[in-house]
Amino acid sequence: MPIGDAPPLVRPIVGRANRPAITSHRGRARWERLAPYLLIAPAVLVIVLFRLWPLLLGVNFSFTGDGDRNGTPVGLDNYTDLWNDPVFRIALRNVGLLVLLLPVAVAIPGLLATFIFLRVPGNRLYRTVYFFPAVLSPVIIGSIFNLLLAYDGPLNELLQTAGLGSVDWLGDPKVAIFTVVGVHIWATFGMALVVFLAGFATLDTTLLDAARSDGASLPQVIWHVIVPGLSRTIQFVFVTTMIGMLTSMFGLLYVMTSGGPGGSTYLPEYYIWIQQGQMNRPALASAASTVLFLVMLVVGLAQIGLLRKAGRED
Amino acid sequence: MRELRVTKWVAAVPMMAIALATIYPLIFTLNVALKTRHEYILDRFSLTESLRWDNLGAAWTSGGISRYFINSLIVVGFAVALLLLFGSMAGFALSHLRFRGSRTLFLACLAALFIPFQVIMVPLARTMADTGLMDTYPGLILAYVAQFLPFTIYLMASYYNGIPAEIVDAARIDGNGPFGVYRRIMVPLGAPALLSVGILDALFCWNDVLIALLMMPSAQHRTLMIGVTSLRGQYSSDIPTFSAGVLIAAVPVLAVYLFFQRQIAEAVTAGSMKG
Repeated sequence: MPIGDAPPLVRPIVGRANRPAITSHRGRARWERLAPYLLIAPAVLVIVLFRLWPLLLGVNFSFTGDGDRNGTPVGLDNYTDLWNDPVFRIALRNVGLLVLLLPVAVAIPGLLATFIFLRVPGNRLYRTVYFFPAVLSPVIIGSIFNLLLAYDGPLNELLQTAGLGSVDWLGDPKVAIFTVVGVHIWATFGMALVVFLAGFATLDTTLLDAARSDGASLPQVIWHVIVPGLSRTIQFVFVTTMIGMLTSMFGLLYVMTSGGPGGSTYLPEYYIWIQQGQMNRPALASAASTVLFLVMLVVGLAQIGLLRKAGRED
Repeated sequence: MRELRVTKWVAAVPMMAIALATIYPLIFTLNVALKTRHEYILDRFSLTESLRWDNLGAAWTSGGISRYFINSLIVVGFAVALLLLFGSMAGFALSHLRFRGSRTLFLACLAALFIPFQVIMVPLARTMADTGLMDTYPGLILAYVAQFLPFTIYLMASYYNGIPAEIVDAARIDGNGPFGVYRRIMVPLGAPALLSVGILDALFCWNDVLIALLMMPSAQHRTLMIGVTSLRGQYSSDIPTFSAGVLIAAVPVLAVYLFFQRQIAEAVTAGSMKG
């Protein structure tokens, strides 16, 4: 789309019979020029006022103080406070853990989509069922799993009947973060699955048939035909899954662990909420927001870079 | 070929297991919601014998779910209506009209798509408090519109890009101004996209926790999802009634999913296809 005063799309209509042609033409031309701006004005207003402006305000805000020092510039104090806060460090460490678990979160829907694509018996049913949890709120999912995973709850009862010991799914600091991430993956793999399936629909099937008639095994087909063919889709799923892990686990944390036990399940988004809402330290929360934004930027760009590189080497 | 066919049948087993793992927690909740407390304590897994619909009634009235439900309906209804109106207007302008700065505005929209709510929530809360919108319906509605508008515009613009310019030109020659084209061409032709995007926006708003928690601190303004979290403390020893509340909150979403599965999948994938 060229920038600049492009001519209006219509060839102007010669004035109506009952009006002087010239004024009508001119008024109409001005109206034509203005119309796009009027159409887009509400959207721009809302986005600028409630999204772009707060972003700048927040970054600015993170360099001011809380409480007694409210509004005064404090330089990088909030950022050093963050760094010295053991809870925030746990939150960052957990982000690292999420990055490590990311390939698992992408591989599960990828494999399942592959089998659905290869028309495993019952593939239509799976398609419907797998997406089910993806439409449910984290509140509902968290509530259900709170019941299932309670120490004296059904899952442990089942494990005991099977002769295995109980696991304190949500009460053991070493286990709880994996439990929450596991539930998050359970709840969201359907989204990625649908995206993968849409990618498969664009896959060149002649290549697939050729590989099969050459006697390629399933892992070979996946590695040499499907993965290269779907590189864009895989890239997209990687980035969106990462964004999902960093920005949409709040509900589960809020319902399932409240960041506990011992702060072990904190993530930056939960930390921001606690500092803003409960500890009344909005400036510190803003600093954490800025860090989260930078982390997402870095992780996102690094992923795209890595995946591009991997794609080229093939 | 034969090997692949065998692999398929082998794969079907874990896939069935995953399908069961996906659906079972919901069935468990449904079953518990219909049990008595006594039954639940004795045996959580057995099928309910009593079909106690009263649990649902208890959650609805004394649990306060009815109030939260109405709050959510109001907020989601207005938010989705505004999202579709603003989103289709902007999507039309960005895809079919040429004007100074259109490219910049489109890029600004895309950029806003990548600003997570967590990053702007502190200053946003302050702005909302300063303008008196905190803890009001319009405030929460605006917050939702701001949150999901970039996504809505993006999808509407890419859908409208598929409508040939000749149709727009023809309507123009027939004497329609830009608003006429919007109303007579873009709204009716965009109906499938409006439906898909509208359903997804409705799900996002209905399911949201963080924004509602931030914007609506007072109890009488709670949305349904926040209401469910508060139910937990209230019924910590009465799991069946609590489950009934969870069930009431889940049912509208599940119904929408069963009816509009195709539209939801379309909207989810539309973003990925453009890359």
